[in-house]
Amino acid sequence: MFVILTFLFGTYHSIDIILEILFSVSLVFFFRKCAVRPVWAFVPFVRAFFLGKCGDCKPEGKAVAVLDLLSNLMLLAGHYTNAGSVRFFWINPLSAAISIVTLIYRIRIYNGLCINFETKRLWIAAWVLVPFIPAFIWGLSGKYHCRFTVEEMEADTAARITGRYVAESGGGLTVNLDERVSRRLFEKKYLLRDIHMVIQPGHMVLLLGGSGAGKTTLINAINGYEKAKAKVTLNGNNVYKQYKEIQHDIGYVPQKDLMRDHDTVFRTLSDAATLRLPQDADIPERRALVREVLDIFGLEPVKNSLVQKLSGGQRKRLSIAMEYIANPSLFILDEPDSGLDGVMARELMERLRGIADMGKIVIVITHTPDRVIDLFDDVIVLAKDSNLTGRLAFFGSIEDARMFFGKDRMEQIVMSINRKEEGGEGRADEFVEKYGEVQNG
Amino acid sequence: MADPRNSKERTKSFRRKLRYRGRFAQVLIYLGKLLRMFIYQSDWKVFPMSALIAGLLAYVIRGDFAITMEGTLKGSFALACVCIWNGCFNSIQVICREREIIKREHRAGMHISSYVAAHMIYQALICLGQTVLMLYVFSLVKLELPAGGFITRWFRLDLGITLFLVTYAADMLALLVSAIVHNTTSAMTVMPFLLIFQLVFSGGIFSLPSWSAPLTKIAVSGYGLNCICAQAGYNELPMVAGWNTLKSMRKTRIGGEISLDQLLDYVSEEAGDRSELIADLRSTKVEGDLTVGEVIDFVAQDPNLEEQRQKKYAASVTVGELINLFGEEQAKQAITQSSGQASIRSRYERSVENIVDCWITLGVYALLYAFIAVLFLEFIDKDKR
Repeated sequence: MFVILTFLFGTYHSIDIILEILFSVSLVFFFRKCAVRPVWAFVPFVRAFFLGKCGDCKPEGKAVAVLDLLSNLMLLAGHYTNAGSVRFFWINPLSAAISIVTLIYRIRIYNGLCINFETKRLWIAAWVLVPFIPAFIWGLSGKYHCRFTVEEMEADTAARITGRYVAESGGGLTVNLDERVSRRLFEKKYLLRDIHMVIQPGHMVLLLGGSGAGKTTLINAINGYEKAKAKVTLNGNNVYKQYKEIQHDIGYVPQKDLMRDHDTVFRTLSDAATLRLPQDADIPERRALVREVLDIFGLEPVKNSLVQKLSGGQRKRLSIAMEYIANPSLFILDEPDSGLDGVMARELMERLRGIADMGKIVIVITHTPDRVIDLFDDVIVLAKDSNLTGRLAFFGSIEDARMFFGKDRMEQIVMSINRKEEGGEGRADEFVEKYGEVQNG
Repeated sequence: MADPRNSKERTKSFRRKLRYRGRFAQVLIYLGKLLRMFIYQSDWKVFPMSALIAGLLAYVIRGDFAITMEGTLKGSFALACVCIWNGCFNSIQVICREREIIKREHRAGMHISSYVAAHMIYQALICLGQTVLMLYVFSLVKLELPAGGFITRWFRLDLGITLFLVTYAADMLALLVSAIVHNTTSAMTVMPFLLIFQLVFSGGIFSLPSWSAPLTKIAVSGYGLNCICAQAGYNELPMVAGWNTLKSMRKTRIGGEISLDQLLDYVSEEAGDRSELIADLRSTKVEGDLTVGEVIDFVAQDPNLEEQRQKKYAASVTVGELINLFGEEQAKQAITQSSGQASIRSRYERSVENIVDCWITLGVYALLYAFIAVLFLEFIDKDKR
């Protein structure tokens, strides 16, 4: 009896058990309001998961369910362990640590409940100390309503999947991405779905989308850093299957300037050349190349300076030069103009245009596209659908994009696909659907 | 010949696989980078810090190290701790602070093994520098150390090898932590646990329960402590704690009753076999050829004197008087030697096997930590953004 009670309730004191039962009963009303089957209120551990769902905190709910189970098992183990033994010595601190973690996750869930029920955060204290009281009051009182029930939160209202594959192009970049998912605590979340396009060599492409639309995820899926369920080919070579061979043909300039501050500009570039160029390139050849690249990117005057002494623009140029030196045919840049003023950003983009004109594909993410839009050939518009999955809302020329969205400026396009909570028009699903129809003819 | 930079040529050449810089060449690239950063970054600051710590350490352990058992144990522990401290702080942040850079470079073709190997060489140079500096500071402050070595001809060289290996093993352990954690904050959170574990489980200072024995086997500090104690000849040294306690009790009076029989036992023939002083007393001539010993034995064995032998007398004597009775030097020698004998520990045995075993273990641990660091870093691409 003791074992069963401790396992189920985490306690064997009658008062605590009564409180637990009271909590379960009050949860019945609460769950009904959130459109969760009331029977779950009586299932230990699982009820924490559903409580998490009510507060739109599914991962936290899962974590609490697992931690509760662990905690109760530890309690049992502790009871059957002699004081002073090794096990006793480990179980108690571990048990205390688990309790702290559980409390933090519970607070997150209760915070989520407060947001969903639009109540004051003070209720969190009540949920922590005497959970059956808020569950009872919120469940029965007509004063408290949840904004979204669990059913509404999980409803699939997103745009349909077109699943229309594009034919591979011998030259250039072909992307046929079915899905890119992430799994956390056994939960599958779609980050990207249904993205198909062909980018021709010599094109400079703008990658547009609001925050969290999956721009960086798409880039990482294209360059093979984070593999998706997709087929990506560059000049006829499969990026995923031939990654080792093709990795030097893809240059990726991350958003942050990832360079060692305490190295000189020349050495940074020269080491990048040694690392990225084939062995055939001998030392004089590499040196000549480094000098040439320093010249192209206007870094010759600062070649002996430490990286930390460079201005924001110079750092960006050096970061790009590190990839450029390997002469890749696909060049991807994640916000290369962040932190630069208009003049410097324009100058940088003009250099990238020059690189594209050399027959390379240049894909650029930028949040200020309109000041340099004349330099781009195409635009990829990524939008978050109602399931918060990144979807392709448009791919084509700049002019076509203006016509498709009915907007003159790129920033207006972003506004139209952004969610209403983000201050946008919330038309992402509409445009994703429309683009799918256009693609399917 | 095709231009190696030409991407079209390169695309065509995928089937014949272009060769990029190999592991060895990459070690040189990163070693060069680390050496340049030693100058430009603050890595060089570890040397003045080591010198200052060595000076402080010499001040604390002077006069006792390699002279008494207690001094040697404390000194060895302090030396091992300083080495672990130095080693840990050398590398605890070196990888995690540039994790994003490593990720970028790994994707650009960097071999993780080359990167870690470059760090291993660079950190070995730093640790060597710190060890030499410590020994140099010991010389400067004229810290008395034994002259002759046990493995080599010089004690300082023997000690130097141990200090280097302890520092290096701790350095590699911190490098491993730096490879596992994702940022410097996490590294500095783990660091105290690392140090406390090393201090507690060194097995020399704190008495640990038997279940923790396996933990002392994985503590670098334990091997360092064993090795330094063995080199300083811990087991052959006197233990002065007992004698010092006795001396501090000089004026303490011991009172009570004592029978003649008990007194005769103290100066019996068996007692004479154990103590030179009593043997001398017993051989002293009283009259003619009659010795004190013969008189004592007669009184102790004569059945007619049984009643007198059981009679009790009041006795009162100070510890100092007792010491004087036996002679201060002789009493000191007897107590320090016998307490020393009782404190002999097999793990501090001054033997080539013991010392070399410790050296090999420390070296193996250093390599093992570096290897595990490589394994962890191989998954750097899986880092969540």
